[in-house]
Amino acid sequence: MLQHLFKLIWNKKGTHSLLIIEIFASFLVLFGVLSLIVFNARNYLQPIGFEYAQVWNIDLASNQDTVDVSRKLANVMQRIRSYKEVETATRMSSNTPFSANQVSGSMTYNKVTVGADFYYTDPDFNKTLDLPLLKGRWYREGDRVAKFIPIVINKKLEDKLFLNETSLNKVIKIDDKSSYKVVGVIDKFKAKGEFMSDNPGLFEMLAKDDTWNSNVLIKTKGGTDANFEAKLVKDIAMMLPGWGIEVSYLKESRLNRHNLTLVPVIIFLIISAFLLTNVALGLFGILNLNISRRKNEIGLRRAMGATEGKVAIQFLGEIWVIATFSLIIGLLFAVQFPLMNVFDLDSEIYITSIFASIAVIYIIVTLCAWLPSKQASRIHPAVALHEE
Amino acid sequence: MLLNYIKIAWKVLLRHPFYTFITLFGISLTLTVLMVLTSFLDHLFGTHYPEIKRDRSLYVATVIQTDSAHTSMSSGPATFDFLTKHVKSLKSADQVAIMSNFSFSNTYVNGKRIKLNTKYTDSEFWEVMGFQFFEGKPYNDNNIRNSDHVAVITDALRDQYFETGGKSVVGRNIEVENINYRVIGVVKGSPPTRIYSYSDIYFPYTAPKSNYENKGLRGRYIAIVTAKDASEMPAIQSEFNSNISRIPYSEIHTDKNLTVLDVKADRYFDHFVNTFARDSTKRFLFYTVVSFVILMFMGLPAINLVNVNVSRILERASEIGVRKAFGAPSAALLWQFIIENIFITFIGGAFALALSYLIIYLINSSGWIAYADLTINVPVFVISLGVCLVFGLLSGVLPAFRMSRLKIVDALKV
Repeated sequence: MLQHLFKLIWNKKGTHSLLIIEIFASFLVLFGVLSLIVFNARNYLQPIGFEYAQVWNIDLASNQDTVDVSRKLANVMQRIRSYKEVETATRMSSNTPFSANQVSGSMTYNKVTVGADFYYTDPDFNKTLDLPLLKGRWYREGDRVAKFIPIVINKKLEDKLFLNETSLNKVIKIDDKSSYKVVGVIDKFKAKGEFMSDNPGLFEMLAKDDTWNSNVLIKTKGGTDANFEAKLVKDIAMMLPGWGIEVSYLKESRLNRHNLTLVPVIIFLIISAFLLTNVALGLFGILNLNISRRKNEIGLRRAMGATEGKVAIQFLGEIWVIATFSLIIGLLFAVQFPLMNVFDLDSEIYITSIFASIAVIYIIVTLCAWLPSKQASRIHPAVALHEE
Repeated sequence: MLLNYIKIAWKVLLRHPFYTFITLFGISLTLTVLMVLTSFLDHLFGTHYPEIKRDRSLYVATVIQTDSAHTSMSSGPATFDFLTKHVKSLKSADQVAIMSNFSFSNTYVNGKRIKLNTKYTDSEFWEVMGFQFFEGKPYNDNNIRNSDHVAVITDALRDQYFETGGKSVVGRNIEVENINYRVIGVVKGSPPTRIYSYSDIYFPYTAPKSNYENKGLRGRYIAIVTAKDASEMPAIQSEFNSNISRIPYSEIHTDKNLTVLDVKADRYFDHFVNTFARDSTKRFLFYTVVSFVILMFMGLPAINLVNVNVSRILERASEIGVRKAFGAPSAALLWQFIIENIFITFIGGAFALALSYLIIYLINSSGWIAYADLTINVPVFVISLGVCLVFGLLSGVLPAFRMSRLKIVDALKV
């Protein structure tokens, strides 16, 4: 049966070539769009790992002020913590959650080198963002002794850098003068929001005299409004004349980040949905025409004793064979992506979307061929043969 | 005669509404997507308010420092000092404007928080940009020399902050981060997609917190160089490149291992591509991917159109046979099919035009992009309609023409 179908299609490959090209092109478009969707969906399903709803970000810029910056920053922190509306506050580097900034670097342990996102924070960071620890503890005042810089790493970095060893209290050499010491491990910290992949990351404790990292995250108590914010900005501006002060809510920054990811995905999705509708309609029309042209063939088969079901299966089978031909050609292109590791994505993403595209293509062709095949099978042999 | 052909075409269209629908759907949808896309690209890269001189402007937006092996790099906007020294001094340039990258701030009024985009500019900014002033005027060199605390704001900020219902606000003060600025002008805002002109409030660069005093290479400023005429742009670029190549090594070598300076004056589109594809292989990859995507998105409907047309042609065989039997020459049959195809393509085009107008109107009025000014690009519409026509003719007329040359007996038999 199957062999027969293949023979049928192969004998008419000239007339079917346009159909094959069309299905092949649809497959590639579908593959591209689905890869994008699978990539983002997979990221979205992993939790971001921290709480941001009540947190504000204050971006302080020292501008032309270079005198005694670290003492001024310490004073401001003390002032911020003293407000009754503020639950906790923490100082960190400019790559605050949902910001566009990124700080990355690499580190080596036992000849394994891993690139990671670096976050420079103070000891109150995990309290402000409710970042739970898997093992160990967050660094605290007094941990930064001699040449050891305390760090907390995420699970991903632990897996990649230490392989199967436990990471707690391991020392990673930076240069001759200083090294990192792992004091704790957190699960996830997806700083760019749900759509960010779970990259290796590490938190390094800020030095006491640091002047460079001047972002402040504050966790406010519920019901805090713009009036407090205005007062806060005014107070800070009095303490730090000439400095830039910018307040943003993490909730809002997160929405902005999401839109950056979602808008292109939605645009692609709409365009390809319309394209596929277009293709499906065309396919339906072509199959309809083909079948009406083969009425006498159907009549003959029916007269020779083929059942309705067998006729319907033949037409469905024909389109499945055509689709398979196109998909084989399409796969030749598509498998290059996971094989050559294009765009450095996990090959699982490509494979998932290849299978999903194949499934969607088969569903579309089956839906398009269903009605014409049913119609064909209902043709009465006497009528069909009479027409001739 | 023509009217007759159109009548026939109309009847043919109505005979199989479903196939007509497929063809029309394909044509109008593809055209609509193409129209909205080009309109959006034109919005991003074309010359529009307030960057009315973009077609003859060069952008110095990124300074890149790398080591000699290109393994590590640091890039971003330049300092005011760097741009003054090496861009303001260009002799072949018509005008040079320097402005800061956008930055953010907040202002508070009546317990309400207003998010602000701020920008620090020189006075020539207002000549390079064609801002429309609702009231007041821009700041001039005098304001800059005296470090006046003055500002130009947009109409949107005026309505939010002063709530005067459109009454004049020139001379009133706006407080940003504890500093009072006197409003001296109100302009019609710029869409946020034009990042070099977009802001809510514009300050002279000598206002507090602008950091124009910083030395070195990397800062937060950008320069736009305009030419008197687009043909002079290569001359400006070569003068700029030779200026840059003469910068002493001691000035470039600010970071211990970054010894190579790479800064260019590019047209807007090139400068945009350069932000993510610096070298030629990356640019090649970018163009390949883009053209492949466009080919796929445009090719699919074209194949579909051809496919449907080719499949339907047999349906018309007996019609051709009958017409030939009654003495119609091949030329007449050919004309009939050509006009039929033009007719359906134009109907599809009309639908597409209406649909694109609707979508663009929705985008403009949705507030999705503030001050959006998307328009239909007529040349692109005509070209794509032409392409549709070519595909229609190739797939509809060519087989029909071949069939029209069949012997009558054969045509009638099919």
